[in-house]
Amino acid sequence: MRSMVLTEDEAIELLAYLVTAARTQLDEAAEYGPLRLLTAAQRLAAFIGPRVSPATRVLLDGPIRRVPATATRSLDPDGYAAGLDAVCQALAEHLVTHFGVERSTGDER
Amino acid sequence: MSDDPLALIRTRRVIRALTDEPVERAQLERILEAASHAPSAGNRRLQRFVAVEDAATLRVLRMVAPGMLQRPTAAIVIFVDVGAAVEYGFAPGSRGLYIDVGTAAQTMLLAAHALGLGSGPVTSFSRAAVGAVLNAPPDWSPEMVICLGHPAPTQPPAMVPVRRRSWRELAHWGRFAPSGTRQTDAAVPYRDQLGYSSLRQARDS
Repeated sequence: MRSMVLTEDEAIELLAYLVTAARTQLDEAAEYGPLRLLTAAQRLAAFIGPRVSPATRVLLDGPIRRVPATATRSLDPDGYAAGLDAVCQALAEHLVTHFGVERSTGDER
Repeated sequence: MSDDPLALIRTRRVIRALTDEPVERAQLERILEAASHAPSAGNRRLQRFVAVEDAATLRVLRMVAPGMLQRPTAAIVIFVDVGAAVEYGFAPGSRGLYIDVGTAAQTMLLAAHALGLGSGPVTSFSRAAVGAVLNAPPDWSPEMVICLGHPAPTQPPAMVPVRRRSWRELAHWGRFAPSGTRQTDAAVPYRDQLGYSSLRQARDS
């Protein structure tokens, strides 16, 4: 496992985005909340992409990158939720593999 | 680019993908000069414009502007000179000050389009942070960032409206008839004709 996937510049850029997004969200429509979080996720993905494992890069280049940058919930609430569910599912499947969860079972004592 | 102002208005779009090609200083000057012709209540000119070309400053501006999806090669920050406004007798939150931000912004967006540049307005940013990044006078309030650059060949999809409305749906001729007697809205309130209810239902569902 790589010990460091963000440079200091990248980290503070993301930190600045997150803090200022918390402030701007006070004045924005509620549906911009998910949009800002997803933008942050995509920026994080862009930063760490060159230094992650090949398997993680598949996740970043696939489901994470494909999240539309300007989509919001109001146009198609069900479709928007379904799209995010699909990303979450792909993410969870990657987590299971990445952290070796598939090797553990409920029968182990 | 067309010289027809109406064609410019119809064809302008928010451009969110920009190339690395810099915007020329002369182009920025023409956009700023255009802004000086924007309507301003009482011709008081209480808006201020800070043009940014420096790559490092633009990068940091983007860090504190979550709404800035694009990577501009230049930007113009529109401020309200609140100190001057108060001297005029305006309350700091007076609507007219911010309406004039809009007239200046649209004028600059159209000027950029006329020059063949891509542009996009951003209002989602920390005012405190932008003021600090630009070391702006404390009584200048940043209200909008106009991002500028050369359009990339492919663009991300635009923000899609819930339902695109024609100008006829958004406009009304003359005085409204007494409530309940309108032919068009016997059963549907005017706000609902504009789609507010469907938007609210979509958000609440």
